[in-house]
Amino acid sequence: MTTPLAHIVDDDEAIRDALTWLLRTRNVAARTWSSAEEFLAGWQPDFNGCIVLDIRMREMSGLECFDALLERHNPMPVIFLTGHGDVPMAVSTLKKGAFDFLEKPFDDNALVDVVIRAMESDARRLASQQTQATVSGRLAQLTPREQEVMHLVLAGKFNKVIADELNISMRTVEVHRSRVFEKMGVRSAVELAQLLAPGRD
Amino acid sequence: MAALLWLTHRQDTEEQRATLINDVLWMEQNLGFQFDRNNSHLTQLGPELLKGGTLSSTTQARLRQALDPESGLIRILWLHTNGEVRGAQPPYTDSHLVGEAGGTFPSSSAHRLSRSMGRPVYSDAYAVIENQTQFEVHVPIFDGGRYLGSVVGVYSLNNMISRQVPWWFSERYRVSVTNNLGVEIAAKSRVSPLSSLAYEIPFEPPGHGLSLNVTAYKSEVRWIPLLLMGSLCVLAAAIVWSLWQLRRHMQRRQAAEQALRAEHAFRKAMEDSLNTGMRARDLKGRITYVNPAFCRMVGWSAEELVGLLPPMPYWAPEALEHTLAVHEMVLGGNAPPQGIEIRLMRRSGERFDALLIEAPLIDSEGRHIGWMGSMVDVTEQKHAQELYRQQQERLQATARLVTMGEMASTLAHELNQPLAAISSYNTGCINMIGKGDMSPGELSGILEKIGKQAQRAGQIIRRVHAFVRRSEPKCEPVDLNAILREAVGLVEPDAQRRGVSIHQDLAEDLPTVAADPVMIEQVAVNLIRNGMDAMADAPRAQRNLHLGTRLQDGMLILSVADRGKGIPPEVAEKLFAPFFTTKEEGMGMGLNICRSIAELHRGRLSFEDNPGGGTIFNFSLPVQP
Repeated sequence: MTTPLAHIVDDDEAIRDALTWLLRTRNVAARTWSSAEEFLAGWQPDFNGCIVLDIRMREMSGLECFDALLERHNPMPVIFLTGHGDVPMAVSTLKKGAFDFLEKPFDDNALVDVVIRAMESDARRLASQQTQATVSGRLAQLTPREQEVMHLVLAGKFNKVIADELNISMRTVEVHRSRVFEKMGVRSAVELAQLLAPGRD
Repeated sequence: MAALLWLTHRQDTEEQRATLINDVLWMEQNLGFQFDRNNSHLTQLGPELLKGGTLSSTTQARLRQALDPESGLIRILWLHTNGEVRGAQPPYTDSHLVGEAGGTFPSSSAHRLSRSMGRPVYSDAYAVIENQTQFEVHVPIFDGGRYLGSVVGVYSLNNMISRQVPWWFSERYRVSVTNNLGVEIAAKSRVSPLSSLAYEIPFEPPGHGLSLNVTAYKSEVRWIPLLLMGSLCVLAAAIVWSLWQLRRHMQRRQAAEQALRAEHAFRKAMEDSLNTGMRARDLKGRITYVNPAFCRMVGWSAEELVGLLPPMPYWAPEALEHTLAVHEMVLGGNAPPQGIEIRLMRRSGERFDALLIEAPLIDSEGRHIGWMGSMVDVTEQKHAQELYRQQQERLQATARLVTMGEMASTLAHELNQPLAAISSYNTGCINMIGKGDMSPGELSGILEKIGKQAQRAGQIIRRVHAFVRRSEPKCEPVDLNAILREAVGLVEPDAQRRGVSIHQDLAEDLPTVAADPVMIEQVAVNLIRNGMDAMADAPRAQRNLHLGTRLQDGMLILSVADRGKGIPPEVAEKLFAPFFTTKEEGMGMGLNICRSIAELHRGRLSFEDNPGGGTIFNFSLPVQP
């Protein structure tokens, strides 16, 4: 897992340097990219944090870069910076899923606030992703029978009913049930339901 | 016609036949008379001859008379009561008889018959030598009831025919005698006739089956009816021919008329459907023809216009002089071939611009009989042109604005970058100082960076300056008056449209100045346009723009004086500032550019109030040292 970074994509070196310095004064780590092409070339699916994208650049524009990122299912929030505010453009980028749209000259600390918010949002996304990964890992450890029992438990059925449905003894149901709880790292059916709820939608 | 001919022919034939019958009857009668006369002669001679003894000289003379060849008798015999021959004159012989006739002469049957009947009786005809035929007539002689004997007259049939038939008759007809067997025994001529026209009657006396045949040599040609018929035919033929000719002529004429009508209709339709007004005038300028399009254009009808002499009702009163001059020019034959534009008036009083193209009207004999003019309403066209020009101007202005906007945007972006960087550094520093963990070394590094970015911004500004400087004037010796005239030529159409009259008061013999002619012209055009704009709301009579050039204190001065509202003091302050404008569509660069050009030429641009109202702009250029 890489460390969360604010990826600054701007063709102006002074801006890159100044923004890096500014973010550092607020304890935000940043990595700079001198062009959209360079960023796309270096982009990894497990990057996290956020992207600060200048719209007006010499080669590929920020908008084109954004489209390319969308194609790659980039999960990081994107913050646009633009020299000349263009409301329709801003609306379309936000609709496409941009995190925010800031017009130069902007209040520098406001930008940093936005970056921080974006990174927090990304961190949350990452955490939920990790929980899900854990849950599915645990689920994978269950035997088919245990899974059957688990589903019936989640359906709120009593052990007796489960035993009848599966044509097994009540005692065996209890063994399976305690195994499931153990493997899934929960202590009760309620906890189990909570653990599986987000992954079930 | 054929019936008439046939009838005529029939009538003709019948007439001929009737004539023939008439002639034949006459002939028969003639012969009958002759026989009767001979019989009476023989009756008279009878007693003398039968008396016996020698014949007295009187009797002899009478006998000779009776034997005259004209009478047809060739011999006279006198017989006893028993039929024996007592005497004959000429003397009797029967040697001339042929065949069975021998011994039968004179015929005893005839003798007995005549004696018993007591009247002359004719015998059968009989052949004699030399191919002759004879017959006899027995005349019984009685003296007081006592039969004395008979006198027999012998006739030669051939003689009879040839002598008794008159010449005119034989000329026309062939007369022949046939016996009861149908054999021809005597004929007047041997020539056989051609005609079928013939008539046969019994030859009686002598009878005994003899018949008289009369045949016409040829049917008589009746010339007069034939000629009449002929001429009738010819006339009829002539009538038919001439009728046919007439019909052909009529057809040709009809076809020609049809073609003419179609051609006329086509031409008329063409003239009527034209959108171009056509007008013909005679040599004096009198209108002789106008087409519907012309009438539609001016609003007067053809009846009202034809025959009119100038000035025409459709001449606009305000342009009367010009129109009259054009009219004179056309009548003088000096009309330009590409046409003349004149302003005319409709009946409603509405004015319109027409393009008039005049050409001499030449008739079919090559005589010049007047002038043919075609007129096109170009009002819309002119209007459209004007609109197009205005649009073009607006477009250019927009294009300039867009270019400027583009430049400004680029400039803004360029400047934004270092400024944004400075701002970010600055905020970062404040953040650090706020936290209180800023080392002086770090701070000075950041401040250095800030300084660099400020320099970068300054460089951008310098680049813009350099870009502006690139438009240095390209100086050459120029004639200010010439440039001014050219500028006036450029704005003249616009001035006319706006109803502004431009007056020029140019000083002669001005020295040349070193200047960029394009720039100077731009200044002149700009000042003239401004002057015209200033008078846009002024009354038409007041829209006079005075241009002047003069040499004053070593400076050439171009002055542009308008009669507009003048310049209020609060406007005067900002007059030369960039982007300051009082016009809706202006960019506020005109006077600013003019002043820059003046300064580039080491000249000045100033303005003062026009004593008569309005403003005077003075553009001065130093004369070359």
